Amino acid sequence: MIAEETLVHELKDKETQAKAFEVLVNTYKERLYWHIRRIVLKHDDADDVLQNTFIKVYKSIEKFKGESKLYSWMYRIATNESLTFLKQKQKKAGISNQEMQEHLLSRLESDVYFDGDEIQLKLQRALATLPEKQKLVFNMKYFQEMKYDDIAEVLETSVGGLKASYHLAVKKIETYLRAD
Amino acid sequence: MKKNHKNKFKTPEGYFDNFNERLIDKIIKEDSLIPKGDGFAVPKDYFESFNTKISNKVNQEQPRVIHLKPYKKYYYAAASIAAILLFSFWFSQYNQTQLGFDDLASAELDAYFEKTDLDFSSYELAEVINLDEVSILDITEIDNIQESKMILEYLDDNIDEIEDLNLDYDEFE
Repeated sequence: MIAEETLVHELKDKETQAKAFEVLVNTYKERLYWHIRRIVLKHDDADDVLQNTFIKVYKSIEKFKGESKLYSWMYRIATNESLTFLKQKQKKAGISNQEMQEHLLSRLESDVYFDGDEIQLKLQRALATLPEKQKLVFNMKYFQEMKYDDIAEVLETSVGGLKASYHLAVKKIETYLRAD
Repeated sequence: MKKNHKNKFKTPEGYFDNFNERLIDKIIKEDSLIPKGDGFAVPKDYFESFNTKISNKVNQEQPRVIHLKPYKKYYYAAASIAAILLFSFWFSQYNQTQLGFDDLASAELDAYFEKTDLDFSSYELAEVINLDEVSILDITEIDNIQESKMILEYLDDNIDEIEDLNLDYDEFE
């Protein structure tokens, strides 16, 4: 695998940019897709946001100073793009955040790209009740199995706070799933 | 034979630092009633075709950036030409609508002077009238030399300073 520093250098060089961008897309497309998909839920929306994320990365690679890992920087862009996408959609529809979550869940049931059973649908309902940060931390830790250090870099927060958020999210989800 | 007891295997940096923590998280996950998968799926060959899709999009975005600049130049040039034409048009219209003294009919001037009490003093009139082009005969309605001599005699007797008349010397020679 190509070293991150080399990849960044090649992305900034006009001569090698196209080839390096292909490597970048191949390396991160799946990981970023699943991260985005768990925020926006619908496949078509996730596809739009993923494309926007890569375009943004391509356009702003000059601004990347290497203060954080390229991987965390891209995750941060993907997170911001996803949340902005949902907020714009919510604003356009003139509905509250809660109404937006309900709308996303109702669409999920009829989504052809959702194979989830009753318990998985219930999990999504439980996640919709969580504060934004807890939901992000849970998805990154539980499903993507990211390290706390990496999550902390993406969300620009402390590892201690993240651990607390994660365990709290797990407890809340379990309580929700046990109910009924 | 001497045995080499040195371990030749390597682990990733920091592997053992968080081992306990990762193990606990794994046990929690195993025992949890939270499902291991979330049920999301993607269309067939989605990831395989994604590269082509994103490359096309990036290439589409690029010319837009490059081609915008020349258009911008044309917009500025067109705007400048339009501004010049507009100003020229306005200026010519403005000049046409500016009426000069020559545009006034002489009848209107005569009517104005007759009806308006201008109340000029003789000094003010002397300041305004260009005497280089006016002979004394133009303002005195005299038609013979005899009358002219009488006027000059009158002026000699009644005017102390000839400069008070604001006349050039050759006017009364």
